[in-house]
Amino acid sequence: MMVLALALGLGIALGLLTDIAIPAALITYLGVAVLAAIDACLGGVRASLERTFDDKVFISGFITNTLMAAFIVFVGDRIGVRELYLAAVVAFGIRLFDNLGTVRRLMFSRWGW
Amino acid sequence: MERSIYRPALVVIVGVLGFLIAVSFNTNARLVEAVPDRASDLVGVVRDMEEQRLELEDRLADLRDEMEGLEREAAEDAGVSDTFTRELAEARALAGLTAVTGPGVELTLGDGSDVAPGVDPNDYLIHDTDISAVVNALLADGAEAVEINGERVVATTPIRCAGTTVLVNAARLGSPYVIRAIGDSESLERAVIEDPVASLLFTTYANQFGLQVGVTRLTNVEIAEYRGSLRPMFAAPVEGVSGS
Repeated sequence: MMVLALALGLGIALGLLTDIAIPAALITYLGVAVLAAIDACLGGVRASLERTFDDKVFISGFITNTLMAAFIVFVGDRIGVRELYLAAVVAFGIRLFDNLGTVRRLMFSRWGW
Repeated sequence: MERSIYRPALVVIVGVLGFLIAVSFNTNARLVEAVPDRASDLVGVVRDMEEQRLELEDRLADLRDEMEGLEREAAEDAGVSDTFTRELAEARALAGLTAVTGPGVELTLGDGSDVAPGVDPNDYLIHDTDISAVVNALLADGAEAVEINGERVVATTPIRCAGTTVLVNAARLGSPYVIRAIGDSESLERAVIEDPVASLLFTTYANQFGLQVGVTRLTNVEIAEYRGSLRPMFAAPVEGVSGS
């Protein structure tokens, strides 16, 4: 857990220090990408705790989910239904809380509480 | 501490997540910064321009004084009779380039208060068209000089709507509007009260919407000179017709 917290802090520090920003028009893409990343990370933690973690599944899942989410945002922009990105947000959101609940329960059993 | 159960791939992606969060934080911070900047920029531009206009008006007044002096000198030099100078002074007074005084009327037009629910709030405001109607009635009755909140009405004066204010010459005016006119005060007062359009302001609309209106006859009204520019760019005098 410490390693993950350290990695997260390192990433945030790196982003803040380099002060990189993207054009305002692409902010929706970034938001969906952040959600996809949170979802993938929680999924990864859960798989790790369940001892079913597989590099291939994890990396490919992260990449395809992010690309699909970006594609949905793009299509929404093109066909004039800008709210289409909500589809990705809802899907990721539900999975996120689902995974979070499982991780919580797994942690209790792992630490024997 | 036992060996971490987390694989390097997961650790890397968690790092990427942190980076993405930081980037969206940066982007949002910039968006928030950018928005009020533009609005205050525009307010600043308007304020600067208005200040500039006032300065230019002052300069124009100075130059006009100077020109008057030079004209007087020139008239004396050429030995032209006093009639010419007097005619010039009269023409200036009628054109609105000098402050004038005389008997006349003072009209007040102020926005109404207490907007009743469900009623168009526009009905409670004095509009450019209301001011136009009053000024028109005054001029039709032979008013020799008219000003609105200190802005002299001359031949090229526009009266138009500019958001919540009314634009007269180049000045933005707000309620209450004080219109002063020089002429036969009794006749001017009657002209406004009996004008089919202007009279509504003082009767029906005043009662219905609580407009703050009033007409006062005065024995002595002072009306300011026109401070804007009067330089024709396109119109030229027709050849062979004597000016004055």
